[in-house]
Amino acid sequence: MPINTAAADTSNGLLLSTVIIYAIAMLCYAFDFAFAKHRVLAGLNEPAEVAVSELVGAGAGGPTTIVAGKRPPADVTAGKPASRWPTGFWLRLAFLLTCVGVAVHVTAIFTRGIAEDRVPWGNMYEFIAAFTCMAVLVLVAASIWYRAYYMGVFVLVPIVFGLGIDLTVLYTPAGSLVPALQSYWIAIHVTAMIVAIGLFIFGVVVTTLYLIADRSHRRIAAGKPSSVAGILRHLPGPVVLDRLSYRSILFGFPVWTFGVMAGAIWADHAWGRYWGWDPKETWSFITWVVYAMFLHARATAGWRGRRAGWIQIAGFVCLMFNVIGVNLFITGLHSYAGM
Amino acid sequence: MTAAEEDSTTRPAGVAAGQGRIARLGVGGWLRWSWRQLTSMRTALILLFLLALASVPGSVLPQEGIDPAAVTQYYQSHPALAPVLNRLSLFSVFAAPWFAAIYILLFASLAGCVLPRTIKLVGSARQRPPRAPRNLARLPATASYTTGLTPGSALESAAALLGRRRFRLHAGEGWVSAEKGYLREVGNLLFHLALLALLFSVGLGGIFGYKANRLLIVGQGFANTPTALDVFRPGRLVGPGDLQPFSINLQNFRAQYVTSGPEADQPLTYNAGLSYQAQPGARARHYTLRVNHPLVVDGVSVYLIGHGYAPVVRVTDGTGTVRWDGPVPFIPVDQSTMTSEGVIKVPDAKPSQLGFAGVFLPSAVDVGGTLQSAFPSALNPRLSLIGFSGNLGMNSGQAQSVYQLDTQGLRQLPIAARPLAAGQSLRLPNGLGTVTYLGYQQWISMAITYDPGQLPALVAGFAALAGLILSFLVRRRRVFVRAVAAADGRTEVTVGGLARSDAAGGFESEFAELAQLLRAEQHGTFGTEPQTSGEPENGAREADTAAAGPDRHEVALTGPDGE
Repeated sequence: MPINTAAADTSNGLLLSTVIIYAIAMLCYAFDFAFAKHRVLAGLNEPAEVAVSELVGAGAGGPTTIVAGKRPPADVTAGKPASRWPTGFWLRLAFLLTCVGVAVHVTAIFTRGIAEDRVPWGNMYEFIAAFTCMAVLVLVAASIWYRAYYMGVFVLVPIVFGLGIDLTVLYTPAGSLVPALQSYWIAIHVTAMIVAIGLFIFGVVVTTLYLIADRSHRRIAAGKPSSVAGILRHLPGPVVLDRLSYRSILFGFPVWTFGVMAGAIWADHAWGRYWGWDPKETWSFITWVVYAMFLHARATAGWRGRRAGWIQIAGFVCLMFNVIGVNLFITGLHSYAGM
Repeated sequence: MTAAEEDSTTRPAGVAAGQGRIARLGVGGWLRWSWRQLTSMRTALILLFLLALASVPGSVLPQEGIDPAAVTQYYQSHPALAPVLNRLSLFSVFAAPWFAAIYILLFASLAGCVLPRTIKLVGSARQRPPRAPRNLARLPATASYTTGLTPGSALESAAALLGRRRFRLHAGEGWVSAEKGYLREVGNLLFHLALLALLFSVGLGGIFGYKANRLLIVGQGFANTPTALDVFRPGRLVGPGDLQPFSINLQNFRAQYVTSGPEADQPLTYNAGLSYQAQPGARARHYTLRVNHPLVVDGVSVYLIGHGYAPVVRVTDGTGTVRWDGPVPFIPVDQSTMTSEGVIKVPDAKPSQLGFAGVFLPSAVDVGGTLQSAFPSALNPRLSLIGFSGNLGMNSGQAQSVYQLDTQGLRQLPIAARPLAAGQSLRLPNGLGTVTYLGYQQWISMAITYDPGQLPALVAGFAALAGLILSFLVRRRRVFVRAVAAADGRTEVTVGGLARSDAAGGFESEFAELAQLLRAEQHGTFGTEPQTSGEPENGAREADTAAAGPDRHEVALTGPDGE
């Protein structure tokens, strides 16, 4: 099948535009943190008990914005949140740009697929473009559902960085697939992996913030200064962050499980065995086991919290090694998926 | 070993508390203590970690079961280290005893945790929810309202509403208890039991299945017997007579490549035209074998995993007798140009044994005086040979690779390295004979696998996934209603609720909705709006009962039962 070069060029241009839009959106989120005071004053949204104990230990150096005793109105009736849309000029602009960016991103991937007349995730360049798109889609969804607009800047930093590397170092011209990849399973297996990785990226960013926030809160509770307290004023407390990251893993883990299984079925079609401990398979197994550890740790007294958070970060490191390291450093049956 | 919230209660987090008592334990006590240790969550976590860690060398070091040639190469490049690694089974990590020890312990730990819980779940299926706590206002989620109904009918209508919403009910004097979400534990157990089933399925394939490889040149055929297979790895209980008696002939093979652009030389399609018989005497059928499209015959799958060229060579020895006449499979050393290497051994040649090391160039082009292959298709095939005479060393008793020449007893013949075109001959010096390159054939390599554990493994895999999703989606929660007659003649109704497993949140909005429905049905007016002790972060969806801690839930749960 000949490559539609016009569509391929369009896709390249759109992906470059995506990075630029994301970068601007990222700046707008940062401006919102810097200039917008409204949400800081709107009070801490931690569960009352937590907020009170924080306040007790806060002292002079702590965040003074915790509104003591004032419970936010219990707005739990019939699941109608007060407002799920962003407030304030910079945040609105940032979120708008994120939405525009992700639309352009999706279009870039779509036109790449048209150019190649196949599913556009056949090599590392396309794969990274796809899962970064998924991560931003998760960000948008979480922003609206859980009003996690505060996540914008933190998610977009790695996304802009990753896409930048993807466009410069890993760029691969549009092309056809080697016979081993010519199967409808690519649409099933790789799509599942993309969705799972997008969720895991979001999860690990939230968990990193959780660990930072948790440390800061502990320091403040112990009467020590916390250098990140200024930024943390814009974020919810550790409990909420922990739960948000847990939710993304709750979504991501079954999808990853399904992706590994779909991969096994495909491996059986292509290579004559459903599991052969190929390096990619081995690392997807390791990733699965570490995320399973996270889920168990989070359900175990003495392990939930910081320890579970670190396990999730370890799981993400395994995942990234699987996505990038295995392709670069180890030869295996998945080597064609390289660069 | 579960991913459930209630694990911390069903599975001890660790057994630190028992340590003071160790000194006084007898044999039975020790066994019980060990079993508790093994089935504790902490041990499960450590075993999971060890399993992940133990897999790492399997991806870094070459593995015997995946790429034996790479292991041999590793021995050559690390002669001192390799035997040590081999002693530690690091070239066959996934078959190593220590790897087996980890997963057997893990699955024992899993079984020790999951099986008692299954029995407990079956038992609880007949149990009714606990009595309602006396003071519902102390539950994580509460609401109260007044209604004109009598206490009895208020409770009755509440029970009816909760029953319609598929809560399990238990009613008493002035109260109704309702519980829902037993499917969470069902899903959780299904997931873990399915993992056990998956392990058994893999074992089943290892015992009753087999794997084989076979290289086949176009125009040739073979029957599925151990002697006709190049590599044959039978399962533990597979004998030579257990192989399905099909036979396969390779009629043609065609590979297509991208001819221009940045992806030139990349393969597009491989098509192998086969004719096969399911058993001797059966009707011959045709099948086009392609990558991702295996041939399934008699429950056995045949896969196309490789291809290459086999130059057709005729060797006439010094006596004028033709000692070799046929294709010789060469191994591609460069996939993008299909430059291939191989050897021809002619042990019967007289007066002296002959051997040839050859390079086959499918599309030979002259690059600065040397010939190279420019394209993987055979557009301009050339065969370049180096001749040897002497002792091939094939009678030494040592097994030899058909792809390697042992040049120890051989002498290189002084012949000009002139690449041969089809039909050209090379006369060997000293009257040793002639070698003629006649043309080429293509070959394919096939993987043949029979795995009776495959379908069970697939079923177990999907059961595990279903269990996982079920346990993540369903939350176990209890709702209690109490109704008392108030002084003004109206009835005061209190609703309380708690989620036993709600790590991801979401119970508050369900509770609020239930409370609203109850009130609306009973035409009540709210005293206290539905609220939860954990205040929402950013609104309804962020409310956090988990902040109150599961311990508090447990206290509230067990208190009224008098436990």
